[in-house]
Amino acid sequence: MATVIKEVELSWLDRTYLWPILKGMVITFKHFIRQLFTPTSKRYTVQYPDAKKEMPAGYRGLHELKRFEDGSIKCVACFMCAEACPARCITIEAEEFSDLNQTQGFEEKRPKVFKIDMLRCIYCGYCEEACPKDAIWLRTDYELSAYDRLEMQFGKWDLMNTYAKKDGKPEISTDPKPAVPHKPVEM
Amino acid sequence: MDSLAQLLHLTPATLWMIVKVLLVFGGPFTIASLLTWVERRGSAMIQDRIGPNRAALFGKWRLLGLPQIVADGIKAFLKEDLVPPHAVGILFWLAPLFAFVPAVLGFAVIPFGQSFTIGNTQYHMSLLDPGNGMGMLYPMAIGAVAIYGVLTAAWSSNNKWSILGGMRVSAQMISYELAMSLAVVAIFMRTGNAGPPTFLEAYDPHRIVAAQAGLWNVIPQFLGFVVFSTCMFAETNRLPFDFAEGESEIVAGYLTEFGSMKFALMYLSEYVHIVTAAALIVTLYLGGWQIPFVADPGALLSVAAFLAKLLIVCWVFIWVRWTLPRFRYDQLMALGWKVMLPLALGNLMLHAWWMHRAAM
Ligand code: SF4
Ligand code: SF4
Repeated sequence: MATVIKEVELSWLDRTYLWPILKGMVITFKHFIRQLFTPTSKRYTVQYPDAKKEMPAGYRGLHELKRFEDGSIKCVACFMCAEACPARCITIEAEEFSDLNQTQGFEEKRPKVFKIDMLRCIYCGYCEEACPKDAIWLRTDYELSAYDRLEMQFGKWDLMNTYAKKDGKPEISTDPKPAVPHKPVEM
Repeated sequence: MDSLAQLLHLTPATLWMIVKVLLVFGGPFTIASLLTWVERRGSAMIQDRIGPNRAALFGKWRLLGLPQIVADGIKAFLKEDLVPPHAVGILFWLAPLFAFVPAVLGFAVIPFGQSFTIGNTQYHMSLLDPGNGMGMLYPMAIGAVAIYGVLTAAWSSNNKWSILGGMRVSAQMISYELAMSLAVVAIFMRTGNAGPPTFLEAYDPHRIVAAQAGLWNVIPQFLGFVVFSTCMFAETNRLPFDFAEGESEIVAGYLTEFGSMKFALMYLSEYVHIVTAAALIVTLYLGGWQIPFVADPGALLSVAAFLAKLLIVCWVFIWVRWTLPRFRYDQLMALGWKVMLPLALGNLMLHAWWMHRAAM
């Protein structure tokens, strides 16, 4: 496609260069004055640790392994997510399991180890799409930082519990145990 | 003054000298460090941001982000002082000094207030008393020396980005110094011709300020004012002329290899340069310590007037930086040689012709 270049005829005043500079300075000064009389809370900047930005619903942040009402894991260790993952960062080890008292008991299979290397994950959301059981979701939470690399290996416990408190769900503390001692970075 | 001097076993002249030294070296420093804060907060405002506001004294008082200056200073002190192995050792150490010393020296002849008399001694508000024979030529010369700081830094870093920045800035400074000097010569001519007859040379800043009592130079010499201010922007390496740094093109230019306190010194000297440049503009064109319609403002008021003008001009330096983008290098050269120099020459000719007409 051809680009049409519009020739702008500059008036002699604009060609002095001094006059456009003054015009520009008026613009910046207007911004300055407007900001000067806007309280900090009303400006565009989100003052991050104090105020946090609400992410839109489709945002792809930290993963969560969903659970049933009674707290048992939805995942059936079908390896679909691990297969779909372009970053190859999901590690699953399956185990046989049946306990008819639990909702998940009918599925007869569950992950023994479910690990996501958050350092390799590219937050593409393919795992969420691939999952036949809707067991893995990407949340809108984006605060992912740690003091060392090991902490970024999220195990099954982390994936199920990291945001449990925030959602008002009980933490599952008996089975399975946290994969890595995960201490959130203080903000 | 006399009794205080006696108390300290000094002559009043010596005491006044010490006070002046403290003022002249402390003043620009204080203003410069405040300017770093003004720059960051002001730029934030201009760009609809907030700017640094989290540093707090004892974790409590944020004071509009002013403690940031202190925090930056402490940070610069505590950082590892890294010297790249390929740097030219001694020069690399000296470069911040070369950049820094001329920046503060330039202020020495600027009269920052009206001279006052106690008893029968006259005290002058400038580090060097009037009639020292150097006058306004001195800050010009010092300004020309300032380029060595940049050049030494660039050369000693032994780095491509640095040397590119250094080359650019040396070419730039030389080009703009010509126009600047020509603009100032017109002022010398005018001052020598007008004003009350004194024993002072026409290029003595005290006389230049005194000659502006009725009308500030900015009005009859508007052309010269524009040329001089533009050249001052070039001299201080500020946008739109910051070719020495040029972040988007050559990393940080001559500053690339400098870290910790060395960088802080270079950075501070840039701001001291601004203060000195602003003082020059105020003295030469904006009437120095004169207040309009006040014939004899007295010592304190005149210092206040000078300070107010100085700060306003400093703010203009910052304001322009956040308004204009950087020139291209060839544009810079074209502006310097094809516009500024002819303008300055024309200004000179115009005034020479005027004076010639008036003398006839
Ligand atoms: S979001 Fe993408 S990269 Fe991350 S675990 Fe899921 S599939 Fe893998
Ligand atoms: S999370 Fe979903 S896709 Fe992945 S193994 Fe479990 S059930 Fe299968």
